[in-house]
Amino acid sequence: MIKVENVTKKFKIPHENRNTVFESLIKIFKPINYEIFNAVDNASFEVATGECIGVIGKNGSGKSTLLKLLAGIIRPNSGTIEIKGDIVPFLELGLGFSGELTGRDNVYLNGMLLGLSTKEIDDKFQDIVNFSELENFIDTKLKNYSTGMHLRLAFSIAIHAKGDVYLVDEVIAVGDAEFREKCFNVFLNFKKQGKTIIFVSHALDAIEELCEKTILLENGKIRYFGNSKSIIETYLQS
Amino acid sequence: MLTKKDWILIKKISFVDFKLRFNSSVLGFVWSLLNPLLMLMVLFVVFSVLLKSPIENYSLFVLLGIVSWNFFSVCTKNGMASILNKASLINKVYFKKEILVIASCLTSFYSFLLNLVVFFIIMVISGVSFHYTNFYYFIPLFSLLILSLGISFGLSAFYTKFRDLNEIWTVLLQAGFFLAPIIYPVTLIPGKYFKFYFLNPFSRILTESRDLLITHSAPSVRFVLITVVMSIIVLLVGYMIFKLREPSMVEEL
Repeated sequence: MIKVENVTKKFKIPHENRNTVFESLIKIFKPINYEIFNAVDNASFEVATGECIGVIGKNGSGKSTLLKLLAGIIRPNSGTIEIKGDIVPFLELGLGFSGELTGRDNVYLNGMLLGLSTKEIDDKFQDIVNFSELENFIDTKLKNYSTGMHLRLAFSIAIHAKGDVYLVDEVIAVGDAEFREKCFNVFLNFKKQGKTIIFVSHALDAIEELCEKTILLENGKIRYFGNSKSIIETYLQS
Repeated sequence: MLTKKDWILIKKISFVDFKLRFNSSVLGFVWSLLNPLLMLMVLFVVFSVLLKSPIENYSLFVLLGIVSWNFFSVCTKNGMASILNKASLINKVYFKKEILVIASCLTSFYSFLLNLVVFFIIMVISGVSFHYTNFYYFIPLFSLLILSLGISFGLSAFYTKFRDLNEIWTVLLQAGFFLAPIIYPVTLIPGKYFKFYFLNPFSRILTESRDLLITHSAPSVRFVLITVVMSIIVLLVGYMIFKLREPSMVEEL
């Protein structure tokens, strides 16, 4: 269950950058001029357990900021966010991947960053390798992987992370058609298992198929929240 | 506070970084063993052959100082950059940011331990016998680790905002190298300055280490306790600053 109440996130955008002690000292009495940009503006919504919600909107409408707020990476300036259950962030695949490590080592490092224990990774290791179809390359250094292999491994670990709430940012829009299909099925499966999914994407057809309800963001505000089909139509007309 | 799971992650990250540090060189981690050995040769030539120091085992004496100082300076420099270096991680997944600082300090600590092993071997070869005071060396070692960790916390808290902190800290470290009794003995300092001189916890830690390992004269319990307390205070203050700055760090990356 996710409950978001009156959440606002402001970013200060300074007109000049003061990134050094030196600059800060010589301009100590000169105030910094900055603009305040409301990335997420007074957003409130509720998602019940087992629901799958799509988030759409133009570039810069606050989709990723909303997801980062939900994941706890940044904190809101005001408002409250309440989430029941463990979060699995799909904001980026292959976190902490290092080219100098073997596929196996990367599975462990990445899995632990996603909150799995060593033992859980031991248990799931075979499944992870099977799904990624990298049986023969698992002890090869990651730098020798192709982009596609890299991606398959990363995705495979992420879906084996355990959690109740999945925050997905555009990650299934990558890879070839066959792999995309496979990923899509994984999310359909999550839905069947009663997991909560927040799905940010520009792939409107995927959202329509996966999510019953959709949030349309416009300049950080929630413009519409309701039935996916009708909202996508409104979005396309605007 | 950190949970057991956090500590497992710290262990993993520090091991992986330690492994990666030597991965691209042919000799691998042998370098961290060779480093103090080669340094000793230089020190021996300078202090025992050219300058003919009257102090016994002077090159060993200086080697311990340099190895300890190296750890302090590498640990604080890497610790300071640890948040920024892993920006791609903390931008994409939530975890406690102190994990990165602690892991980075531990990575430096592993190299230091390898250096110490070499130091002990050289010590035995040089004819400095084992003595029961050696066992107490873990106290200054522990003090040094938490002192470095505390300073790393404090520095990393501001490094996301002030990127020239690296240059500033490099200069301060250079000054610190000569302010602490690394290449000269403490006895060179006039007695009336002792009070101020030993306000520097590093000078205290190094003095204790040398007493325990090389000259086998146990430092007073009071002296050691004050050092431990000083280091713990540095750690607590550094950690508090870090915690205060933590919420705004991500946005500054």
